[in-house]
Amino acid sequence: MVTDSGAPGGARGLRFLNRPRGLAVEADGAGEPHAIAWQGRFRRVTVIHDRWRIDDEWWREEISRVYFEVELEGGRRLTVFHDLVAGGWFLQPYRPPTTTGEPPGGAARRR
Amino acid sequence: MDFACIQVPWFAIAVARRENPQLAGRPVVVGGAPEEHAEVTACSPEAMAAGVAPGMSLRRALALCPGAVFLPLAASVLRAEADRLAALLRERSPVVEEAGQGHLHCEIRGLPELLGLGTATYLAQLRESLAGETGLPVLAGAATTVFAAHAACSALGLGIGIAGDRGGPRQSISVVPGREREFLAHLPVKVLPVEPAMHQRLRLFGIERLAQVAALPLSAMQAQFGPAGRRAWELANGRDSSRLQPAQEELRVTEEVELPAPAVSQAALLAGSEAALARAFGREEVAGRAVRIVTWWAGLEDSTRVSRRLAFREPTADPRHALFVLRSKVEALRLPAPALSVGVELAGICSEYAHQQLLWSSGRGRQRELDDAIAQLHARAGEPQVYRIVEVQPWSRIPERQAALVAYGS
Repeated sequence: MVTDSGAPGGARGLRFLNRPRGLAVEADGAGEPHAIAWQGRFRRVTVIHDRWRIDDEWWREEISRVYFEVELEGGRRLTVFHDLVAGGWFLQPYRPPTTTGEPPGGAARRR
Repeated sequence: MDFACIQVPWFAIAVARRENPQLAGRPVVVGGAPEEHAEVTACSPEAMAAGVAPGMSLRRALALCPGAVFLPLAASVLRAEADRLAALLRERSPVVEEAGQGHLHCEIRGLPELLGLGTATYLAQLRESLAGETGLPVLAGAATTVFAAHAACSALGLGIGIAGDRGGPRQSISVVPGREREFLAHLPVKVLPVEPAMHQRLRLFGIERLAQVAALPLSAMQAQFGPAGRRAWELANGRDSSRLQPAQEELRVTEEVELPAPAVSQAALLAGSEAALARAFGREEVAGRAVRIVTWWAGLEDSTRVSRRLAFREPTADPRHALFVLRSKVEALRLPAPALSVGVELAGICSEYAHQQLLWSSGRGRQRELDDAIAQLHARAGEPQVYRIVEVQPWSRIPERQAALVAYGS
């Protein structure tokens, strides 16, 4: 669930980067975006290049999102997701997790 | 005999007359055209006889000697000729001192004996060989002291009562050891190496010969002329313990880089300059030493050169520093033709300059200054103004968990 997106601050001034920004999206019956409000008007989604789902942190505030990498008319590419817990659409550039780190205790769990 | 003095009297005139023999016997004034606002730098004895003297204006010289030939000052030519004469003498003597252009002192101790010659013959042959190779009227004097040799040679130049074996003017003379005082006695005080003002005062006192100086009490000369008076009295009495001070050859390091293609862009010139500087500073002669002066040049397509001279406030051993200073000069250049090469000459090479190091390295010191400035900025604004990016959970699949901004200093 995404709340208070874009709100500043955290402990000792920690501000997470790449926070989701709310977005107006028209979706079709299958839950796929077919028009996105971009720069003041709705633009048609011409191609959906990729789609993936993230389910995480079910043990505290569950996160469940479906991401779409779409191309709008005019060629603009965006990454948006649909929050399946709270509803609503969000814009969020996506960077795959790096392989250089892992959560504390991850290695121990594997053993 | 320990020392010899080699002189080309009226050096600038002698060089001009060698180039143009038609000037022989005519009054010649060197310094420029008479309409120029410049001074006489040299003049021939004929012009001097008409009242012309070095230092007076060319217009005045023209008024005094309307028939004189006025020549431009070819300083570089005279310097080259003087250097050539000195180089020739260095081939014949281990110690050579340049007293002026066309005026050299050298050590000849043991050289006549080495060649199996008497001193007079050796000196005559030395003079002839120098005169033959330069084409200039060389005179030579030899004595056991530097001043006696100088005075003997100067006397020849002044044409003072020293007749040659064949009745003509002598061109070399050696002073008999032990008879220096006697030889010097009849020479004019003009041969003393003292300031012109002292010469003038000696004339005012009616002192014209060295014998008169020698006869004065030392205390009187000292009282009138100070240390210069004491020196003049000692020289006039044949006392001279001075030694020659040969010029130290200055080390210069030159490197030139051919550009891959004719270039006018500053980037290409700077790249070539950087390579030339790196090569020059990397030379063995410069290792562990610093440089005061860099002369930079660009060789142009039209066979001309554009050059710039950099003098560092503090000697540097760092080619990057030299390039940093050079950069502004090169960037201001507008080349008249594409450059084919760039080169540098390092001069003023000296021991590496000592710098006071900071207690902390410059990096840490700078970091501390930065930290202080940022803390002050935060305090003034009441909230963090500068952040740094930290990876928080780079392994997370949730993008907003991966990185965060942290207030600087927290």
